[in-house]
Amino acid sequence: MLYPEPIERLIDHLTRLPGIGRKTATRLAFFLLNAKDTYTSDLGKSISEIKERIRLCSRCFNITDIDPCHICRDEKRDKTVLCIVEEPSHLMVIESAHPGIYRYHILHGVINPLEGIGPDEIRIPEMKERIVREGIKELIIATNPTMEGNTTAHYISELTKPFEVKITRIASGIPIGGDIVYIDPLTIKSAIDNRRSM
Amino acid sequence: MGLCKDTAMILSTRTFGESDKIVRFFSLNEGRLTGIAKGGKKSQKRFTNTLEPFNCVRIEFFEKATASMVRIENADIEESNSGLEVDLKKVCIASFFSEFVDRMTREKERNEALFETLRTVVLQTKRVELNYSDILYYELQMLDHLGYLPNFVRCVHCGIELAEGERLGFSKEKGGIVCLACSRFIPHRRYPQGFIPQLASYSPDKGRTTEAFERMGRDILEDFVSFHLDVRLKSYRLLKKVAG
Repeated sequence: MLYPEPIERLIDHLTRLPGIGRKTATRLAFFLLNAKDTYTSDLGKSISEIKERIRLCSRCFNITDIDPCHICRDEKRDKTVLCIVEEPSHLMVIESAHPGIYRYHILHGVINPLEGIGPDEIRIPEMKERIVREGIKELIIATNPTMEGNTTAHYISELTKPFEVKITRIASGIPIGGDIVYIDPLTIKSAIDNRRSM
Repeated sequence: MGLCKDTAMILSTRTFGESDKIVRFFSLNEGRLTGIAKGGKKSQKRFTNTLEPFNCVRIEFFEKATASMVRIENADIEESNSGLEVDLKKVCIASFFSEFVDRMTREKERNEALFETLRTVVLQTKRVELNYSDILYYELQMLDHLGYLPNFVRCVHCGIELAEGERLGFSKEKGGIVCLACSRFIPHRRYPQGFIPQLASYSPDKGRTTEAFERMGRDILEDFVSFHLDVRLKSYRLLKKVAG
């Protein structure tokens, strides 16, 4: 053992964080050793609090410390439009581009038969309940344009047909600042098929 | 060793770390392989949508004798999976056969006939609506290519060839049909007359079969595969639920 046991233990814990190797973990451990007591105790408290206080919102299944979450409580948002996303991190990305407009529903996964994940293993039944209960008029399906994301989007659109809800899917195509020469044929096809008038 | 160029079916993918992908694929010349695609999750140039399950791709990869995984350098789509995603049943069928090939083959075991069957079944699933009899047909074809086809012609105990009307009892333990004499001491399941010959000779161009045929066919293969190969496929449960 190179360092005293408590430091070795901290290095081991830090090494388990994504993107942190042993060298960086050692540097961080020594930073913490030399930091003020208030900083280290606050850091420890913050880490334990995320496990104690963070849970899922009972409406949209976003991660939150209060239930319902801030987004579900926001009266200014359009109550008739629901944006469907795979993960909480996807909500954050959309929210940063369109702040304060939509309400969300987080599926916590996508349909993936290869992993044995069907519609009942993600939050699709709860989404169906919300459509009826909250009188939703439009669903924006913002799952990834992957095989699994597209399958989930099609399944949701079939499932919600009886509710007379407008279903929209986020567009996929050429990124802003991109060059057509480097775009693959499938993306070009999608961009041309989903072109809009100007 | 070195750079290999091949045609492959993508069996499954998963994210590795921040931006890489681990890809399992079944190639025409090299069989099943596992590869790492550096930047496969983020790169907009090299991979974008090529490393998606059920795609048939022209793949380039580096192989090292000392490494357990190959390094995927490039992939271009030959036939895309586009068209499967519109129907959950289609995705379940493609998933079932991909997982079947993945679990039933060994690394680097070339099987050209199995590759062609997998490519055909994915293509057919995209084009037409397969019923359960078609699924059974392709499953039997794959078992045949793998050398696991149940014996539907001779008694698996005494070896006597049975007339079609005598093919009634199937032993999952022995992996085939049993004659009347051997059926007295070999555990088996009895099926209606004509079912076993129909299952053995069924092909999609023969038209629609009955629900009873599909149910019995599913039972016979499910029992056989789970007993002999000890394989539980994750996609099978969902396929059964979706396909009815």
